[in-house]
This record gives sequence, structure tokens and C-alpha cells, in this order.
Amino acid sequence: MKRFECFQAIVPLIKDELFVTTAGGATAEWNAVRPSDGNIQVKTLGLCSSIGLGLAVALPQRKVFVFDGDGALWMNLGSLATIGLHQPKNLIHICWDNHQYESSGGEPTAATADNLDFAGVARSAGIKSSCAANTVEELKEAVRHALNNDGPHFICANIAPGRAEAPPLKYDELENKYRFIRYIEETEGINILRIPMPASYLLK
Amino acid sequence: MASIAGAERIIAGLKEAGINLVSSVPDINMLQLINLLYEDKEIAHLPVGREEEGIGVCTGAHLAGKQTAMLMQNGGLLNSCNGLTTTALQFGIPILLLIYYAGDIGDNAFHMVGLVTEPVLQGLGIKHIVMRDPARVKQDIAGAVTLANSSKRPVALLLTRAVL
Repeated sequence: MKRFECFQAIVPLIKDELFVTTAGGATAEWNAVRPSDGNIQVKTLGLCSSIGLGLAVALPQRKVFVFDGDGALWMNLGSLATIGLHQPKNLIHICWDNHQYESSGGEPTAATADNLDFAGVARSAGIKSSCAANTVEELKEAVRHALNNDGPHFICANIAPGRAEAPPLKYDELENKYRFIRYIEETEGINILRIPMPASYLLK
Repeated sequence: MASIAGAERIIAGLKEAGINLVSSVPDINMLQLINLLYEDKEIAHLPVGREEEGIGVCTGAHLAGKQTAMLMQNGGLLNSCNGLTTTALQFGIPILLLIYYAGDIGDNAFHMVGLVTEPVLQGLGIKHIVMRDPARVKQDIAGAVTLANSSKRPVALLLTRAVL
């Protein structure tokens, strides 16, 4: 299965969940399928799972998806142990495993040799709801299960390499950040951004 | 060896400055501080395995409104340089970096890490204070958090044994 067809298959299941997407091909494709200020792109390879963990812990009433890649997860494999330690019930971590560093030109990753079972690693790290999905139907079922049950959840989606035509993101990281925070403010009814008041305003 | 009083002063300073989530990787000189964080009910404490993870955790928590700090040794500052650069600085994320200053004058371990710590912070464009006076702990923490929020950048406090 291809990543893009997976995205098209799961998007009808999505409402206002938050998405932290990896520094890789998944980001542009996901934004093409689900354009929303509830998506934030990551620029540091490997860090999406950690950012997703922080977001999930800070906003426990909200489902948080992390879209990872096999190269990115290899770089921060320890994050699975950290997620296993903290057990965020609302975190849904999907690794889009195409067995290569697609954004870097297709070099092999640790997954390429087929010795690495990401779902097994996640389960052993304490993420009990962990599975691999090899077909679009299996993936939809896993996502549906994750949306309807407490996690943390980990899904390794075994996909064929290849990118779909998707336009680049419309926003740079700063605009993306502000839009993302405003989206949380609006959907949660809370105030997050605090603009410091200049001292001259405070003086009588 | 670090003291309970030093750790309590720092925790009180963090609370006064509004810090409500701390991620950490330990150092022996911060043992009391870490122990207090494990017990504290007001500050969420998220230990991580590697410091760069903590930069990610603090970033994600900031997006949802938390006022965050990352507690680590200066070796961990070196571990987290890419996350600081391409996440915290590039997205404009205020994070208080509480860094034990190993290899500082008077410290007999990790002298190479001590040597490069301040030049690395300067290279990253992260402002810092070396904390040597227990009487200034609270105002240094408050000042660093104020600057982190107004500049939307990490700000570092280098903790020496004198304040721990």
C-alpha cells in the first residue's frame, strides 16, 4: 500500500484531532489530504514523537496523532521507551515505514534489512496497544481502535516507497506554530498565547 | 554535595516564575532537585532518556500552553543542539534551560564539556546566566523566564554547586 492511499482511507475517521507530522514526505501529503491548522510540521528528524508526547501530556483530553517515518523513528527510538514510561492515553503514534530515507533520496534505514520489528519494540517498551498494518483495511481498523480506546497506541504502517504529488506547505514554521496554537485555543476555549505588556503601558 | 535548601529554593523560584512542566535527565549534583520534582504535585515532571527528547517534550507542551523547563547536565546541552536549533529556535519556543555546569572552575569532572559550554550557548544565540549566588536564584529564574517568553527563545541558567 502507498502512504497517500492510506491517508485518503483514514481521513474520514478524523474530526478535530491534532497531528504532529515528521520532517519527511508524510507532512506535505497529509496536509493535502487534511488541510487544517490542527497539523504541525516538525523540522528536526526524529523529534516528532517527543513533541507529540509533550503535547499529549499537556492536553490529555485531546487525541494527538504522531506521523513518524522509519528513518526518523530510528533516530529517536528511545522515545518509545519514554512514551512507554509516561503512558499518555491520548497518543496515537503511527510510523509510516517505507524502509528508506525517502526525503534524503532513498538510502537504506535500519528497517531496510527486515530485521527490525517496530511494533514489537514499541510493545516491549510498554506501549501495549501496538500493531503492524499491512493493508489499508488493517490500518483503518487500527486507527478506529486507537480513536475509540485509551492508549498509548503504536501502529507500524508497512507501506511501499513513493510520494504522491502534493503541494508544499503554505506556511513557514512560525505561521504554522501560531495557527496551530490558535486552533487549540479556539477548539479548547482556552488562552495560550500571552503577549507581554510593555512596561510603558503599565505605568500610570 | 548539593543541599536540600538549594533544591527547595530553585523549586520555589520555578513556581514563582510560572513553570508548570519540567523534563529532565539527571546529574548527581541535581539529585535533590530531581527528587523534589518527583514528589511535587504542582509541577508536571517528565523524565526522558536523552536530552533532545526533552526539547521536543517541552516544545509540544508549550504548544498547549505549558510554561516549560528542561533540566540537564551540560553534556546534555551538547546532545540537544539540533533540537534546540531546528525546533526550539526555529519555531520560536520559550524553554527555560536549567543546566548543571559540569567542568566549571572548581569542578573536577567533565572539564572538556565545561570548556565548550558557554561558547556553544553563545553560538546558538541562547542567552545565559552563570548562577553562583544563592541569594539571586529566584530573581535569575524569574528574569530568564521573562526573557524566554518575550523573545520566544530558550534561555539558559547554568547551575553551579554554589546554588544547588
